[in-house]
Parts: sequence; C-alpha cells; structure tokens
Amino acid sequence: MKGAVIKYERDNIDTDVILPGPYLKIHDYNELAKHAMEGIDKDFHKKVKPGDFIVAGRNFGCGSSREHAPIALSYSGIKAVLAISFARIFYRNAVDGAFLLPIEIEEDTYKDISEGDQLELETSKNEIRNLTKNKTYKMKPFPELIGKIVAAGGLFNYKQ
Amino acid sequence: MAKTLFEKIWNSHVVVDEGNGRSLLYVDRHLVHEVTSPQAFDGLRMNKRKVRRRDLTFATMDHNVPTTNRSLPIVDQTSATQVKALERNCKEFGIELFGIDSPDQGIVHVIGPELGITLPGTTIVCGDSHTSTHGAFGALAFGIGTSDVEHVLATQCIWIEKPKTFEIRVEGKRKNPHSVTAKDIILSIIKKIGTAGGTGTTFEYRGEAISELSMEQRMTICNMSIEGGARAGLIAPDEKTFDYLRGRRYVPDNYEKLVEYWRENLMTDSNARFDKSFALHVDDIAPQVSWGTNPAMTVDVTGRVPFPDEYAHGNPEEEKAAAKALQYMGLKPGTLVTEIELNRIFIGSCTNSRLEDLIEASKVVKGRKVSPKVRAMIVPGSQHVKKEAEKLGLDAVFKDAGFEWRESGCSMCLGMNPDILAAGERCASTSNRNFEGRQGAGGRTHLVSPVMAAAAAIAGHFVDVREMDLN
Repeated sequence: MKGAVIKYERDNIDTDVILPGPYLKIHDYNELAKHAMEGIDKDFHKKVKPGDFIVAGRNFGCGSSREHAPIALSYSGIKAVLAISFARIFYRNAVDGAFLLPIEIEEDTYKDISEGDQLELETSKNEIRNLTKNKTYKMKPFPELIGKIVAAGGLFNYKQ
Repeated sequence: MAKTLFEKIWNSHVVVDEGNGRSLLYVDRHLVHEVTSPQAFDGLRMNKRKVRRRDLTFATMDHNVPTTNRSLPIVDQTSATQVKALERNCKEFGIELFGIDSPDQGIVHVIGPELGITLPGTTIVCGDSHTSTHGAFGALAFGIGTSDVEHVLATQCIWIEKPKTFEIRVEGKRKNPHSVTAKDIILSIIKKIGTAGGTGTTFEYRGEAISELSMEQRMTICNMSIEGGARAGLIAPDEKTFDYLRGRRYVPDNYEKLVEYWRENLMTDSNARFDKSFALHVDDIAPQVSWGTNPAMTVDVTGRVPFPDEYAHGNPEEEKAAAKALQYMGLKPGTLVTEIELNRIFIGSCTNSRLEDLIEASKVVKGRKVSPKVRAMIVPGSQHVKKEAEKLGLDAVFKDAGFEWRESGCSMCLGMNPDILAAGERCASTSNRNFEGRQGAGGRTHLVSPVMAAAAAIAGHFVDVREMDLN
C-alpha cells in the first residue's frame, strides 16, 4: 500500500468535521466523499488522491456512530488513517465495513511524518516506510482478527 | 466470584465467545432511525435477508424531521427522501414505526424509555452513539454503525469486543439540586477524565449523588458517556427505575416478576473489582459552561475562559488545540464566563429535552422576557413530552417569554434539519456536542444545563443560576 500523506496536526478529530451532519442525508457514497473533512478542510476533496493516507493525533473519529465518516474518507480514496489513537465506534465502523485501515502509531512517528510524505505500509510486518524521508517506523501490531475482517472485505464476508 | 453489573449483563447475553477478543452478543432491543438505517435495509434486500426479530425492533424518525408545522410537507427533498425510505423499509420488513405523524414520535432515546421499550438488564443497540442513554435503566446500551445495524437486523446479534469496567463515583448530596444539575455532573466528569478517558470501557456511575437523581436526570448522565469515550454507561436499577417503567406500554406482562429478579440481581457485588475508578464530590461541582470545541473544554460559570497554556498543563498538543478552539469560538482568554453574550438558545436534544428539563427551565423563565438580542427555542424530546408540558401550561410560560415552542426531534443538536446556527452565531445549548460546525457551519456552541440555558436566554449572557431562587 503506497500513497501520500494528508496531515492534520490535531487531536479529537470528530465525526462532525469528518462528515458534517447536513450531509448524512446523502445516500450516494461518491456524493458523500465530496464533503469529507469539510468541517476543517474545505480543500480536502480537491487535494486527496486515491491511495492517500491521513495522519492525525489522538482520539481520531470521536463522537457520532455515523458510518458515513469512514465511508466518506474511503470513497475519497483514503486507504488508511494513521493516528496515535482512535475512538472505538469509528475504529469498528472502519473495519466492519472494510472501508479503511485504522492504524495506531507512536507519538514520535506522528511527529516525524509530514504533509506530502510518500509512505508505504506493510501491515504483515507492522511496518511503515517513509519513502520521502527514507525512514522506517513500526505501527502498533494489528490484531489478527481485525486484519482478517478487512482482508475478507468486511464483517459479513468474514463470517460467511 | 464477585461481579460488576456490567459483567452480569454481559455474561447473560454471550452467544459465542471465540476467545479472540470478540464475542457474539444477543441483542434484546434494536432501535432504528432514518439516518443510519437506509444502507442497512439495502444490504438486507441485496442479500435477500429478512429482519430476524421484527418484534424486538422499533423505528422512529428524529434526526431529519422539521420541528415546525407537521401538517406541511418536508421542504428539504433529501430529508423527505430519507424519511420516506424509512417508512417504506419498515413496511416492507414489518417493523413497528413511530412515524412523523405518530403521537409516539420523538427522539429515539427519549421514546425508548417513555414507551417502556427500554428495560433493566437488557442489551440495546441503535445506530446512534447516544444509545448510552438507556444505561440509566441498567441496560447495556451502545451505539453502532450501519454495517452493524444490518448485522443486527439480520441476526439479532452483534460481534463485539468485551470492554473493560470503569467505576465513576459521585459522592455527596447536592445542596442546590435545581441549579447544580445532572448536566453539570456529567460535564464535570468529562472535564476531569477527558474525551478519550473512557475509551474501551463501560462506565458504571455510582455513589449517593447518582442514587438521588431522578430517572430523567440519570438519562442525562448516561447519555454523555460517549463524550467521555465510553460506548456505554450504566446505573444500577432501583425502585425509582421500576416505578418509572411500571405500566408503560411495552413492558412485559410479567413485569412484577421481572422486578423481583432485577431487584435481587442487577447490582455490582460489594467486593467486585473495576478495571478503573474515578471519584468526585458534588460539593466541588458548579454549573458548567463549555468554552471550546469538545465537551472536556468546560469551566465553572464563575470562571474565566482559560489561556491555552493554563488549560494544557504543559502539554503542547493540548495547548495548540485550545488555541484553535478559542479562535473558532471567537473568545478571548481571561474573559469572565458571565460576560459571554449569546445570540441563540437551544433547549432540546436527547440529553436534555424531557419533561423535567422543561419544568426546571420554565421556573427560570416564568414571568420574564427573553433578551431582545437573543433568539430562543424549545424543542421537546417527544410528542408525549410536548403534550405533558402543554398540560402543565409550560408552552404558555415559554411562549409568553418569547421562546419558540417546536415539534419534537433532534433539531439543532446536529443541524440536519432547518434548525441551524448561522456562521458566527453563539448558542447556549443543552445538547451534548460542541464540535466545530455541529450546529451549523461556523456556529459556536456552549454546552450547558436547561436552567443555565434558560437564564442565559433572559439575561442575554451567562449567569450563575445558583443566584436565582428555583425552589
């Protein structure tokens, strides 16, 4: 998995800024994607490219249980969010729908990664390679079950 | 072995424990609303699945519905579509719906308890993070996303990792229960433990100050568990719980037998251990006002808007967050909270829109007028709350003072219907989230209790309600 970093230097990025309430009425996922991150970054939709990663601080995705939040990021092309920690419902929604990988990173890693850095993720080795800075970081080990659910394409497929 | 209340409810609902961290849990009640369900129903249709337990599934529409005249069609076409989709889905799948014209319609977390759907010792899920509200009845209740809504519709079960237990003790007896409210207790807890303090845990609220709360006040506390990072919060049921539910429409016929069982079983054993504990004393709690953009950014009404470094206690990330929050909120550090002037007042939401909230707020408002600088509205939590309040003449009290008296729904808590803040408008709100843009893009939210919101409506700025006679 390879892509560029869109970085938000803040904690507590909540579901209302990831996908503001008024857009919860939208049924079409590609339409939802046009409003991803609109609460704090009006240009997100223009700058995001398929395969990009979001890097952020603590408690990413706190707030509402709206699955629209990971869906909007996923349909924007985001393959993984790398954060120091995640709120539980967001983490679960991201995994159960196989929308994106929520990856926990150390604070030093968070600080070292810059906007625009090219990263390569190798989840089987718990490795994040920063191709721009020529460095390798460890991601927090990914629970085996979570990996299986994502690989299967979501909870329903995993259980079948 | 001694067990906590959480462990007792958990153990009695595990269908399969895979031993890999996740268990399959049986769901006793599934509440459904229009926003997080359409894709779940689409999924059922696509895979030719049925709703497994229609009798345990209840639906209402609350997030999108206008709070103005209900005899008129919904103007916003996307809202109308979502509302119609729920009607169609409930009909097709055979689910009971408390629709827009139903006398039972209301915010899902208000009507569940009101109709007796919420019961002690049960598991309750809903595609809404404030499902934690139902924990006030000793039910293990938590919010889920749409994929899980689909899974519960299809199987009546949910895969979930077992949370840790977190005891929150609130000691002492309130000296001024009309001005230091349940909202102030829960905001004080979140201020202390932080918005991620409860991540991966289920709270159990205990102590004298919790026991003395009414059921509606307990719901306010459990409602905001998610704002402290916990998906669920519990309060052990007692005689108040049993009395509240007795005679309500959906309680089972063998209710008194159930009460006997609950009375003997639904409590944390005296020597049970929690994974984490936190305690505070009610004497240390003043009316709270949030100043920032998350519910932990709160101060006493007697305080000042903090300087970022003072808020951060040496944590540079927190300092940056506070500076950003102040900028968004348009507040200068050092400003007295009582000098913050408001444009809007919102009394409503699943946190604070029940009859008791409206009664308490009306005591502040009675015989007074809303400040000419302020636009204020009351949005009752349900049609039943609205009707009961009208029987008590509260609608007249509020309308005479200059408040708008609306139909029930989520309304300005999350800005999905036309009730929103304009950019830059400052609102004293009894809701649960002061996130950026939550009540409308650029809108500024201050979280407070109903009496604090009512007093701010009259004065045009925050006031310490302890100075008023509310008895």
